[in-house]
Amino acid sequence: MKVHARLMTFSLTAGIAYTLAYYFDWSLFQYYLDEGRFHFAPQPESAGPPILWYGWLGAAVLAGSVLAIALPQRLAARIPADLVWLIPAALMFAAVMYELRWFV
Amino acid sequence: MMTALLILHGLCAVALLGAITHQALAASVKRGEVRGRSFVARFRATDAAAYATPVAVIFMAVMLIGAVLYPRYRLTVRPFVQNMDLRAANGAFELKEHFSALGMIMLPAYWACWKQPLAPEYDAARMWLTWMIALIVWWNFVAGQLLVAIKGLFP
Repeated sequence: MKVHARLMTFSLTAGIAYTLAYYFDWSLFQYYLDEGRFHFAPQPESAGPPILWYGWLGAAVLAGSVLAIALPQRLAARIPADLVWLIPAALMFAAVMYELRWFV
Repeated sequence: MMTALLILHGLCAVALLGAITHQALAASVKRGEVRGRSFVARFRATDAAAYATPVAVIFMAVMLIGAVLYPRYRLTVRPFVQNMDLRAANGAFELKEHFSALGMIMLPAYWACWKQPLAPEYDAARMWLTWMIALIVWWNFVAGQLLVAIKGLFP
């Protein structure tokens, strides 16, 4: 169960981190379409529009990995089984609510 | 190259759609509960656990190919969608983007829940995570197909 607890910790933490990342625009890096290059620092407007999605995902994977490795095993094993599906369900609902603006 | 990747993306998505739908329906019944010889009964009587690793691998493949194709979408399809003021289409893709990321992030927990021997305390998590990934795959597939064909649908 050691590995399983870490995998579940990763999924829960990374899911929350991804949601916070797109909500607050915390992008670990940006991809600039015109240049076809990644940058860690935002570029001037003349560089064209960036893609933030890669950076949100990078931030989420980083946060999830760090917590899955750093969280003591006894704490990770205490995560209630129902949270493993309730948190992702809430995050999916949050994504739907966030993007509802396109449909109204 | 991009056309070949788009076709591969679509083919992998079809395989994923079949696998996750099969697994989700099978996960909703306990083994031995399935009775009858109808198509639906046989469809649900499969060993759901056997699909976990293939689903995780194909999901990752679809996601990675999609990530490679994404800049092309931003350069060719999205300007068209914005110029035509197709807000719902734009929103469908934004949601596809978030669902893909959340689905990929859910995969480790999903895979752990399906690892043999199946832990009874994760019965609910196993079933709901599978259904959530199925919902994500269906949404992404339908939204992706509509967006690929959008210039034909709104000439």
